[in-house]
Amino acid sequence: MTANWKKLLIAGVVCALFIALPMVMELGTNILNLLVMLFIFIILSQSWNLIGGYTGQINLGLAAFFGCGVLVTHFLWKAEVPIYLAVLAGGVATVVLAVIIGLPTLRLRGVYFAIGTLALAEVLRIVMGNIFATWVKMPGSYVTTYSLLPRYYLGLVVALIAVSVVYFVTNSKLGLAMVAVRDDEQAAQVTGVNTFKYKVLALLISAFLAGLGGGVYAFYRLSFYSISLVFSPLWTFEPLMAVMIGGAGTLVGPVIGSFFLVILSEVFALTLGEAHLILFGVLFILVILYFPYGLVGSVDQVRQLMARASRGRLWKAR
Amino acid sequence: MENVIQAIVSGILVGALYALIAYGLGLIMGIMKFLNVAHGSFLILGGYVSYWIFTLWGIDPYLSVPLVIIATFLTGLILYKLTLSPLLKLPDIEMRVANSLLVTFGVIYVLDNAMALTWTPNSRSIMTSYTGEAIDIFGAHLSITGLCGLGIAILVAVALYFILSKTYFGKHVRAATQDAEAASLCGVNVQRTYLISCGIAVALAGVAGVIVVSSYSVTPTSGLSWLLIGIVVMVLAGEGNINAILPAGIILGLIESASIFVVGAPYRQAVALVIFIIVLMFRPQGLFTGREQKSI
Repeated sequence: MTANWKKLLIAGVVCALFIALPMVMELGTNILNLLVMLFIFIILSQSWNLIGGYTGQINLGLAAFFGCGVLVTHFLWKAEVPIYLAVLAGGVATVVLAVIIGLPTLRLRGVYFAIGTLALAEVLRIVMGNIFATWVKMPGSYVTTYSLLPRYYLGLVVALIAVSVVYFVTNSKLGLAMVAVRDDEQAAQVTGVNTFKYKVLALLISAFLAGLGGGVYAFYRLSFYSISLVFSPLWTFEPLMAVMIGGAGTLVGPVIGSFFLVILSEVFALTLGEAHLILFGVLFILVILYFPYGLVGSVDQVRQLMARASRGRLWKAR
Repeated sequence: MENVIQAIVSGILVGALYALIAYGLGLIMGIMKFLNVAHGSFLILGGYVSYWIFTLWGIDPYLSVPLVIIATFLTGLILYKLTLSPLLKLPDIEMRVANSLLVTFGVIYVLDNAMALTWTPNSRSIMTSYTGEAIDIFGAHLSITGLCGLGIAILVAVALYFILSKTYFGKHVRAATQDAEAASLCGVNVQRTYLISCGIAVALAGVAGVIVVSSYSVTPTSGLSWLLIGIVVMVLAGEGNINAILPAGIILGLIESASIFVVGAPYRQAVALVIFIIVLMFRPQGLFTGREQKSI
């Protein structure tokens, strides 16, 4: 219990820090941009974490959900709907998309869910690129009143929502069922867990979060030179990488991974240019192969090793 | 009527290319239970190598096939050594498939960006004297590049059939597929068998890339759509059923060229996806295998 309070306190302090930060000091445009991207990454990676990390279903179609959120929010906002409602509607529309995709693909076994979602994201990218072949942008009046602070706070709020949704879901019966599905689907089914139902539920919540993330991005970026860019597989790959680096199936892992990724990409984009993406790919492969539990898991492993070592020393001393 | 014949003919020609793409995927999946999602990127790599040979030395793309095979074969060996062989330690097949998917997803990222740096993100294609030329038979146009693709696909199908069923290496492959542990107890060098089959699979992607670059075009990021086609063909044929890949590819090609009439060209990929999901839901063992039978 005490450990829980300690964690809650840390979380509260971090939140308060982020809320107060732009009020007490003037942040430069660069830092604000970076922080907004960080929030979007946290939202997307938590969304992936829920379906991939906790439920064990590899979703390679995150870009489809994200892009759907971007599109719906963008066009609703253009139609003079208040942005908060538009973002929410983006999330809901993404849930609808997830139902359409999820019901057939989640019945597929194993990796074919991954392939099905990847195929879907690709098809959506091509189809949307065909439909919106021109420059998609907001009217000029929105550009003149553009300021980064509302984007910052919207991103912060949605990121907090994403983290707390994942926290509450994983500490409920639903989360227990999700982990059971991940660890051994057959065993879970035999003991009476309706695995399909829980997989669909996890996908829907995850899609909702991804749609909200897309909404924040639509609020942040006013114009899209080519709409197929928001459906690009990069939007799947980078959040996935954040989850894997931080540690899949943990609450703080994706947050740490997002921090790591955003800061690293900022540093390397300046020094290495395009080549930094290759470096990221190599890093991702190394993490999957050699550190499957990510940073958080590695810390736990090291702690266990230390504990074992110190116990061994005590035993020898005796 | 002429339109129908034309659609059938071009469906068969395109389908042969699709089958060629699926061979490499099917080999890796059937033998080692790795799903190599970077297959499309290797295809593009093969296309670029061929493009380079053509522009630097002026060698015809179809004559450069052996060079492309050597280059991509070596790439395949590197792929196996660096990324896939560590996964063999994983205890369970499902985990192995899932992790190979994630790792090769990372490989896509590395390869695509490396290719964009080397050859710029512009789309490249090879223009030879016979590009766009066609032979007319019964009022149907058969493009020469398409015919070459069909020829190479048939050649690959026959060669793979003979290698897998008639040679010692093929015997080793089949043994390692059925039971890797038992095979290694009987003196089969399973690691080497895996290594070489991975090289062959990637080399096949390179060969398909030569056809793609000479009859379509390549960009560093277009690998993903070719990969998806390959996976659809692999699923239609049934996982690990190498001999059924050519007919499955041709079936997909025919369905696609029929769907152009119905829904229009930009949406033909969506049609392939729908077929993919329907097949996986109702006949997950593929169109050509019986319920329990599994062959390589």
